[in-house]
Amino acid sequence: MNARSGLSYKNKSVLGHRVRILAGIVVSIVFLFPIYWMVLTSFKQQVDIFTNPPRFLFTPTIATYVEYMKRADILARIVNTIIVASSSALFSMVVGTMAGYALARIRLKGAQTVGLLILLSRGVPPIALAVPMFLVARKLGLTDKHITLILAYSTFLIPYVMWLMRSFFLSLPKELEESAMIDGCSRYGAFFKIILPISLPGLLSTLIFSMILAWEELLFALVLTNRHASTIPVAIAGIAGDSVNGANWGALTAVGTITVVPVVVFALLVQKWLIKGLADGATKG
Amino acid sequence: MAVTKVSDGAVPDGLGRARSGIGRKSADLVARWSFLMPSIVVLTVMLAYPIYYTIEISFASFDLSTFSAGEWVGWANYEEAIGDYRFWDSLKVTLVYLVIALPLQVTLGFGIAFLINAEWWGRSALRALFIIPMVVAPVVAGGMWRMILDPLWGVMNYWLGLVGIGPLDWFGDPTLAMAAVIMIDTWRWTPFIVLIATAALLALPKDVFEAAKIDGANWWSTLWSVALPLLVPIIAATFVIRWLGAVKMFDIVLAATYGGPGKATSVVNLFIYEEAFRSLRFAESAAMAVIVLALTMILTGFFLYGSRKLEELF
Repeated sequence: MNARSGLSYKNKSVLGHRVRILAGIVVSIVFLFPIYWMVLTSFKQQVDIFTNPPRFLFTPTIATYVEYMKRADILARIVNTIIVASSSALFSMVVGTMAGYALARIRLKGAQTVGLLILLSRGVPPIALAVPMFLVARKLGLTDKHITLILAYSTFLIPYVMWLMRSFFLSLPKELEESAMIDGCSRYGAFFKIILPISLPGLLSTLIFSMILAWEELLFALVLTNRHASTIPVAIAGIAGDSVNGANWGALTAVGTITVVPVVVFALLVQKWLIKGLADGATKG
Repeated sequence: MAVTKVSDGAVPDGLGRARSGIGRKSADLVARWSFLMPSIVVLTVMLAYPIYYTIEISFASFDLSTFSAGEWVGWANYEEAIGDYRFWDSLKVTLVYLVIALPLQVTLGFGIAFLINAEWWGRSALRALFIIPMVVAPVVAGGMWRMILDPLWGVMNYWLGLVGIGPLDWFGDPTLAMAAVIMIDTWRWTPFIVLIATAALLALPKDVFEAAKIDGANWWSTLWSVALPLLVPIIAATFVIRWLGAVKMFDIVLAATYGGPGKATSVVNLFIYEEAFRSLRFAESAAMAVIVLALTMILTGFFLYGSRKLEELF
């Protein structure tokens, strides 16, 4: 690679480089195979699923999708999951971004303690919240309602948003608000007119991650809903854990594919921001 | 800036604290706190209060007819939880999972990041593909791996059979079931570490490595004495982030093994969930939840402190 290095060194280095590329490709295939296999299985007929050796070639069918859509409440669950994931993510974005800004930029007595507490709360096991939330929701007649899940999800989304946005705001130059406020902007004016617009990449990646986290959540959904507000992860847990009939692999893979594909497409579309947001959140904490 | 100082005598210290009159000062104080207040209110109601309620239940008997905390029973629920060998077993299972999975995932994550960042035309495509496992819902991951690892029809046992291994009863043997859970978890979470590690590797100063090369350092000493010290703070931070996720382990186990066979993979979160919502032993499970909460908080605090210290050292 380097023209000045000796020939033997160069060959060795090129070989090493090739091995590295190849190993990287192999590892990627290993990591992607399970998803490929799930999507493939979802288009199989029952007779093509239970075969030995496993079948890679078969006549594809969408029968499982059609059948499962008709039989189960899967459409209602998709709608529920969309409602809950987007509302809780948006709500947590508003509340969490303001808090993140406060911790990054505004000098407040005691704010450091509050910030540390909120950070520590990311370590709270959800089961310690699920029990009391269930009992209180039951008492107040709030079980099986969207709003309950939305608020429950905010317990892990707000600290998450707060933390990511705090590190994002810390990376912005201080002079931005300083000059805005000197020019007569109020604190809110500086925040909304100056800071938020230039934070758009950070805001977007945080929003997407929050939506994904809420989209996938299982424990609270399992505990706080049963019919009307129930989400897709609960359905998948039900299919996978069906010990009476055994797991219905057709249904499992079809619903799994429905759950995963939109998120994957979405994530790939915005991958640049995702990677950046993720890296910043980890390195600038 | 200079102009402002002359005009109104305020001291713009970058936070715009104008010292002109008590009224403006308190209005500014309100404005400043108003940024933090919504999150404090929501988290107090939805986070602090439930934790307080859990603690309350853990010291009370639970009345299933009214579905609320009954009379105060002191430490009885804690004594019962600590005397319950199944609780200890679930803590042990969780510990085994954490001790194996966390170092494995962090090491693999940085190793794979090194591999996929070799410079060639497909590099950014590989990096993007590694996002995919990361956004698969853990419950879906558990379900689809259960299919792949199925002893009879699973594609994994078929392949292992081709090289003369097995058939392995992935979900019937306690050790294999634990291995399966760790494998699924590693599949789901390593890509996340790969992406963080990628950013860390790209941020490494190139000239240090050039210098090491010129000095004739081999790749091992380059890795050990040049790259690793530079990476220690980010490795520590990654470990803490992954720890925060791993202590919540629930979905994958629920979908893949449901804690089985027996209780071999029943992590503490699943055990408490079962105790509360299947056996309706709310008081005892609240005591267990408080114990787990305390353990997690102590360890999280310890790891945060440790990673800060490491950052200072390197």
